[in-house]
Amino acid sequence: MKKTQSKAFANLICSLFLLAFEIWTYIETTGFRIHKRAHVQPATFPQIMITGMFIFTVILFVQSLLKVIRGMNEFDPDNEMSASINPFKNRGVAAAFFVIVLCVLYTYLFDRLGYVLVSACISIIIMWLIGKRNFVMMILVSFLVPLIMWFIFYKLLTVNIPMGILQPLRDIVDKF
Amino acid sequence: MNWGLLFESYVNVFTSAQVIGMTLLGALGGILLGAVPGMTATMGVALLIPFSFGMDLIPSIGLLLGIYCGGMYGGSISAILIHAPGTPSAAATLLDGYPMCQKGQAGKALSIAMFSSFCGGVLGALIMTFLSPLVAQMAMKFTSAEMLMLAFFGLSVIVSISGKSIAKGLISAFFGLLLATVGQDPTYGAKRFVFGFRPLLSGFSFIPTLIGLFAIAEVIAGVERIISGEEKQQKSEEKITNVLPDFTTIKRIWLNIISGGLIGTFIGAIPGAGGDIAVFVSYGFNKSASKHPELWGTGIPNGVAATESANNGCSGGAMIPLLSLGVPGDAVTAVLLGAFIMKGIQPGPMMYVNELPTVYRVFAALMLANLAMLIVGCAGVRFFAKIVSVEKKMLYPIILVVSLLGAFSINKSIFDVGVCVLFGVIGYLMNKFEFPLSPILLALILGPMCEQNFVRFVDVNNGNFWEILNRPIAVGFFLVSVATILFSIYNQRKINMREAKNRKKAENA
Repeated sequence: MKKTQSKAFANLICSLFLLAFEIWTYIETTGFRIHKRAHVQPATFPQIMITGMFIFTVILFVQSLLKVIRGMNEFDPDNEMSASINPFKNRGVAAAFFVIVLCVLYTYLFDRLGYVLVSACISIIIMWLIGKRNFVMMILVSFLVPLIMWFIFYKLLTVNIPMGILQPLRDIVDKF
Repeated sequence: MNWGLLFESYVNVFTSAQVIGMTLLGALGGILLGAVPGMTATMGVALLIPFSFGMDLIPSIGLLLGIYCGGMYGGSISAILIHAPGTPSAAATLLDGYPMCQKGQAGKALSIAMFSSFCGGVLGALIMTFLSPLVAQMAMKFTSAEMLMLAFFGLSVIVSISGKSIAKGLISAFFGLLLATVGQDPTYGAKRFVFGFRPLLSGFSFIPTLIGLFAIAEVIAGVERIISGEEKQQKSEEKITNVLPDFTTIKRIWLNIISGGLIGTFIGAIPGAGGDIAVFVSYGFNKSASKHPELWGTGIPNGVAATESANNGCSGGAMIPLLSLGVPGDAVTAVLLGAFIMKGIQPGPMMYVNELPTVYRVFAALMLANLAMLIVGCAGVRFFAKIVSVEKKMLYPIILVVSLLGAFSINKSIFDVGVCVLFGVIGYLMNKFEFPLSPILLALILGPMCEQNFVRFVDVNNGNFWEILNRPIAVGFFLVSVATILFSIYNQRKINMREAKNRKKAENA
């Protein structure tokens, strides 16, 4: 296994990203409003937290760097193969990324198409993606679960959930 | 203590068919509501308050306490079975509950959770009955200094739940504390990390964040595992002969139950601190005190017992300041306070003088609510345990759509659905690179409490933070926190050394 595939190297890259994130957030805090009479400024607490995060990120960075440069003994857990996030090399990761994209689309369409329809669509797509091929069962479960959940939330818990193009369904339920 | 009146109140409550019926109904509703990610006991109590308008005080309090206790246990069902805590206070239960489920011990984990919840609840109710004025007096000595140090004590537990790398655990914790500062600053209303995006003004809602970090991240990782061929369908071959844990298990976990119940009751009695803090404190304490801390987090009954007993212990604890001082200990007791006032009873010190029979009946109703939770829970264990047998290819999409609906229902906001997805992605990536998620959760709970009390204390003392040294309880909390951190670091080193040795042994063999 190459050094660049080890967990220690992954930690090194993670700590670099984190350091960049911490520097950016610290710069952001300098723009917070200042109250002249206040003993503790609105920026104080976030700055303390960023400093704490920075200290432990530096510790992780140094630990990982030393392990990568000096090498590790074979029993070191950081010498194991790191998890992959490359969707082009790992079909599982590609599927996970696809689910993330579906979730983002779900959020966008939640209000427009309504909970039941958008939930049924995402369920069918994910079931198909992970290898379910019993289409009758897929369609039945995908529609029934959101429909029952909507009914429970709408009728029993009085939570109004967007129904989008299935709005007439709500009118029917209201009539009864 | 008027023993005759206390006995009479217990007899009255335990022989009233209406009170028993309402409490059982409440417990059933609470368990079902609690098991849905996003639905909390507070919501359940608030939703059912209108139904209690027409009832007498004790049946209505029985109904509401049934929901409260049932909801506390219900949250652990989804935490154990699908890695999605139903309520915030069930977040620590999944640390050992979910691994137990993965080992094919879902029924055992559920029965331990139920039994520990019952014992913790009974312990809390007993302490409430006998020590409420004393505990309330002590809890009311808590000012911003003590609350700040209590929050610090809660945060010290992070070291023990950090897993293999303390540095990664602490990075997660500081990240969580930083996330807790997003939105308007609680003292001056200054905008922080809002970037002109209005919904961010109120920060990240806790429950969508919780659902995202655990449930959505688990769905994404589950899909990856199925496609990569790493996920195998679990078949529930576990035979549940007893719905309650056996004697050997009880012998193993009874100390965790008692310590968890005591921690839960004490923390529950402090206004503003609730089950979500108590469970992590109890988990950290019990892990540190364990002879085999390396086994915690791998799916051991002790982890489930320690958290669930603390969780329900809080119910008794939270009732203490409510009844003796008229100050609600948490959100549910705040709603209960409303129910008392609606019935023309004002909780507070005078209630012990003018309404002593009512006080004793409330004690008895809480005891009955815990018993009702046990009865309904026992009836449901076999049914709940079957959920793990549902085909994963069907279960993951169902978890996804139910969880996202739970996230939406809190504030009826699409933004919360987005927050849930965002934290799902963050949780998935953090899991990949072995950054623990629980510290973020604890930090999100304790962050606002920590900041508000820090600012208040410094302002009251004209900028002199060192004034805190004149507060003995606060100093006590600080010393206990430091001891907890040092002991947890020592424990973690021991665990890492033991694991390295075992790996060497396995390699040589």
